[in-house]
Amino acid sequence: MAKNKLYLIVLIACFSGYLYLFYTTQYSENGQISVCMIKNATGYSCPSCGTTRAVQALFKGDLIRSLMLNPFGIIGSLGLLILPFWIGIDLATKRKSFYATYIKMETVLKQKKVAIPLIILVVLNWIWIIYKEL
Amino acid sequence: MESQKVDLFMMMNAKYFESYHLPAVREKLVQLDDERWPAVQSLQLKDPTTSLIISIVGGGALGIDRFFIGDTGMGIGKLLTCGGLGIWTIIDWFLIMGATREKNMEIFQNALY
Repeated sequence: MAKNKLYLIVLIACFSGYLYLFYTTQYSENGQISVCMIKNATGYSCPSCGTTRAVQALFKGDLIRSLMLNPFGIIGSLGLLILPFWIGIDLATKRKSFYATYIKMETVLKQKKVAIPLIILVVLNWIWIIYKEL
Repeated sequence: MESQKVDLFMMMNAKYFESYHLPAVREKLVQLDDERWPAVQSLQLKDPTTSLIISIVGGGALGIDRFFIGDTGMGIGKLLTCGGLGIWTIIDWFLIMGATREKNMEIFQNALY
């Protein structure tokens, strides 16, 4: 993946993430709308169901509720908060520290001893989410 | 490398690359030493059709299609955001075959250049 393409994709993702967060918080009745294809098609929650609510809870300072909803919310919030600034600094100073980190992270994650525990964690989280009926 | 072998490779593997990659692939193979033929044959190229099937049959929303082609970072992005709120999933139905071919070219370059 080329550097500029990656930066563009991440910036668009962060921007639409903030837009979606703003929209759900301001305009929907119970603070959430369902756009998830899996949930709408099958009725079962997907591994990232509840992330929006978890991010909203975290931004209100309710860390416990956020963790109970979906731990992915913490990762999502950190990404939303950090990535635009990191990329902004990278673009302003013409370095590519984020790109280098991204490539390094990919090679680490492709190792079996890292990938398999993470996959198990995601599946366990998914089972928990279905059990909670989010 | 013998042009016969190159032709064989091109016939077998043309579908794994974008059409504009093909001249470069061919040129590289012709320049290559005959000793490298086993390495060329054992390249693990991903089938674009398989990734499209994964993307359509439910794997798209969880980023499995991106993990499959070795694009781990994007895969995690799709997994955490429920397939980019469903939008990225649909976009990827159309982009994933091209992305797979680009990844194959990367594999080819990493192995032989």
